[in-house]
Amino acid sequence: MSRLTYPDHVWTLFVEAPGAGRPLAAPEWVVGEAHEPISETYVRFHLRGPRERPVEARYEVRGCPFTVAAAASLALKVNGQGPLPPRFDARQLLQELAAPVPKLGRILVVEEAYRRALQRLPSIA
Amino acid sequence: MIYLDHAATTPVLPAVAAAMADCLRSPLGNASALHEPGEAARALVEQARVQVAALLDAKASELVFTSGATESDNLALQGVFHPAGGHLVTSRIEHRAVLDTARQLQSRGVGVSLVTSDRGGRVEADRVAAVLRPDTRLVSIMLANNETGVLQDLPAIVALCRARGVLVHTDAAQVVGHLPVSVRQLDVDLLSLSAHKMGGPSGIGALWVGDRARSLRPILYGGGQENGLRPGTLPVHQIAGMGEACRVVAGDLVAEAQRQRALCARLLGRLTALGGVSRNGTGDHAVPHILNLRFEGVDGEALHASLPGLAVSGGSACGAERGEPSYVLRALGLADAQAEASVRFSFGRENTDKDIEEAAKIVEKAVIRLRGMSPV
Repeated sequence: MSRLTYPDHVWTLFVEAPGAGRPLAAPEWVVGEAHEPISETYVRFHLRGPRERPVEARYEVRGCPFTVAAAASLALKVNGQGPLPPRFDARQLLQELAAPVPKLGRILVVEEAYRRALQRLPSIA
Repeated sequence: MIYLDHAATTPVLPAVAAAMADCLRSPLGNASALHEPGEAARALVEQARVQVAALLDAKASELVFTSGATESDNLALQGVFHPAGGHLVTSRIEHRAVLDTARQLQSRGVGVSLVTSDRGGRVEADRVAAVLRPDTRLVSIMLANNETGVLQDLPAIVALCRARGVLVHTDAAQVVGHLPVSVRQLDVDLLSLSAHKMGGPSGIGALWVGDRARSLRPILYGGGQENGLRPGTLPVHQIAGMGEACRVVAGDLVAEAQRQRALCARLLGRLTALGGVSRNGTGDHAVPHILNLRFEGVDGEALHASLPGLAVSGGSACGAERGEPSYVLRALGLADAQAEASVRFSFGRENTDKDIEEAAKIVEKAVIRLRGMSPV
């Protein structure tokens, strides 16, 4: 396994992991978790803000570089560095990361954790 | 780059490269030809044969040069089971050169029994005894596993087979050149070895054939070289390189083994201090140059991707191309994720204490970072 195994942007997201880590404890943060037992992929997403437009995301992840890159990419979008997709789409993220199809299962774990966190955010409606 | 993947292949020793270059620059003929250039080539081949035999405590006439241990394993197994029939015993942790050949023999009507190892990676003689049949012709158990480095209980297995008149083959590719090996003391019938695991060139190896296995049949046809067992023009420069590698490693075999065992112990000590790090396979019976460690709490692919500047492997180099968890580690009872989060470090003659220090720092940094990112 070397740096050459991964597309450049995946490698950068894996190495830099922007937004990784857990936020300081504060009441406005909510958490969503997901786990896939065979590959032992674990993802925990932390979100803050209204459900319609979360304003800040942090994440913790145990997974392959594509899993880390997927979580980092999503966190970047939430944190205002890119257009937030109206709905998280694992297949779209798979394409964005040029990830091989067998990685879909792991990226779905990211989606699940994000979705669970999103559901726990308060709605402004 | 710190190279710790010597179980996959070793850098060619300078003396070996020089010997090979001398061959390639010399006006050598075909080693089977009767003219002077042919005789010169033949002399180099026979000198190398003596050098290889000396490393094995064997007679030069008992060696058959092949393209490497994979071909030697094929010749040993297919050559014994010709014509097909009877029964073969081998283990689930053998190299694919043996396992895939066994499957091929099975498709031709040979009965095959695969024995399991214990969780420490050793194939005990009683497991072999339990599957022996009256028609068992051959037991093939590797001398040391290429992923865990665990030495097998070959003396007990050989004793068992001797009592039943069953031939024994061993793939010794990870032991020859790393520990003293005597075919006389081992009392096996067939032994495979490869030059590139001990500082020689790739593409050359040998099968040692003992007296009891003299009925071995060739698997290739086309010439009478190597006593009719391996036809084809002899690659003189590669054979000379293998001979030189054997000569060099024989010079300080025990001292170098002790030095590499110390490197291994040092890395083991450093990395187990991280916590959640275990050795795969028993360290009580292991070659000095292979250390296979399992790291808890990290993803295997992420771990391997996080080791820049360090050439190590997840299992066998042959298995890496398949991108699957190691079947050897799974046979030891590890889950897929545990097998993937394992790293094989294998040491060589050029490695120093400083290499081990730097390697330990790289691995520690990666494991600490990945565990720090993990939610569990």
